[in-house]
Amino acid sequence: MKKKLCCECGKALIKDEAALCKKLLGTDTDEFYCIDCFAEYLECDKVDLEIKIQEFKEQGCILFL
Amino acid sequence: MKRHIYADNAATTKLDAEAFAAMKIWLLDEYANASQQYSFARKPRAAIKQAREIIAECINAEPQEIFFTSGGTESDNWAIKSAVLANLNERPHIITSAIEHKAILNSCAAMQNLGCTVTKLPVDARGVVSPDDLASSILPQTKIISVMTANNEIGTIQPVKKLCEIAHEHGKIFHTDAVQAVGHIPIDVKNLGVDMLSASAHKFNAPKGVGFLYVRAGVKLFPYLDGGAQEYGMRAGTENVAAIVGMAVALKKNISALETNQKHIIGLEKLFIRELEENNIPHVRNGAEPTLPGLISLSFDGKDGEKILHRMDLMGISISTGSACDGNKNQISHVLKALNLSESLAKGTIRISLGKNNTLEDVRAIVTALKKVLGD
Repeated sequence: MKKKLCCECGKALIKDEAALCKKLLGTDTDEFYCIDCFAEYLECDKVDLEIKIQEFKEQGCILFL
Repeated sequence: MKRHIYADNAATTKLDAEAFAAMKIWLLDEYANASQQYSFARKPRAAIKQAREIIAECINAEPQEIFFTSGGTESDNWAIKSAVLANLNERPHIITSAIEHKAILNSCAAMQNLGCTVTKLPVDARGVVSPDDLASSILPQTKIISVMTANNEIGTIQPVKKLCEIAHEHGKIFHTDAVQAVGHIPIDVKNLGVDMLSASAHKFNAPKGVGFLYVRAGVKLFPYLDGGAQEYGMRAGTENVAAIVGMAVALKKNISALETNQKHIIGLEKLFIRELEENNIPHVRNGAEPTLPGLISLSFDGKDGEKILHRMDLMGISISTGSACDGNKNQISHVLKALNLSESLAKGTIRISLGKNNTLEDVRAIVTALKKVLGD
């Protein structure tokens, strides 16, 4: 499958970054961000997004499998 | 630092500072077991007695009708199971509603496993139980009818007095889970006529882990926790004196300021709805008048409630949702299902519950955040 790129900086995304965009923007989103650009877009701290990823994994969200 | 806005007061409330101050002495200095016979136990014993009197007065009950518990869940379990276990050989029938808290629904399910039958009354699109449905559901072997005072997800207040009258016309026991209502709307057990009523302290600015079950004098109650002779021999376990005192202080304070708090919260609620409309945010409000002040269940067609929750959380705003998604399928709450909401609306449902500590500034910030999230 083609690797998703950050729509802001063009960086290739890791799986968790792509999953987080789906979780927080909607599973049908066609906008994907790397975690740094996503934090800037959402006006939040990067660490908050990292904690969210961990929590979603612990909850068993299949987007992060 | 990001400002935190707490708008999930239906989940729990902030502990009242006066309640906390009143609790400390029972944790640090006067820590005796209230059941002991020595003089050191007199003060905690007296404090429990006084708390029982205060709480009874708040709901127009008698002190001996108040039984302290660990919270709403235990109170609900006790009410249902007491009525059933006393009559187990008759294969008891229980009537409840489809939108009860899980503490009631799962207690009923547990009793079904013991051979009981359960009728779950439907609700209309506003979330209201029909008195006629109740009347037609009562069977000779019905042992308890339990319908909540106000729903925790949509805020709808049930016609408890009417439902209770119907139960009594048929000679049946009526219990109400008033966890969401006590401390927020006037509750007068004598006027309502209920036989049993559950309450949870942390819903009215008191500590977590404590609550009470009101049982009208003359109603036969069976012990739920076996052990010592606490709570008139009905609920064993060393009393949590600090929590009981904190509960009494917080409840008395909320009841004393009930009208002021209601006026403030309803003002916030009206502003919220006005701001939604002025910002052209299309929404459906669930539930119907009469409703709990400040409890606002909103559905946004085609949106994702869980996404809204997490995005708002990242902006420092705590709200709740009526659906959860594991990335594969949506789990819609049993309350929203009972309202027959379309899946598209149910999936996009959030709950904002404003409390006495919220401000006009909070409300405006919530709407601003909501507009941003819904626009993405």
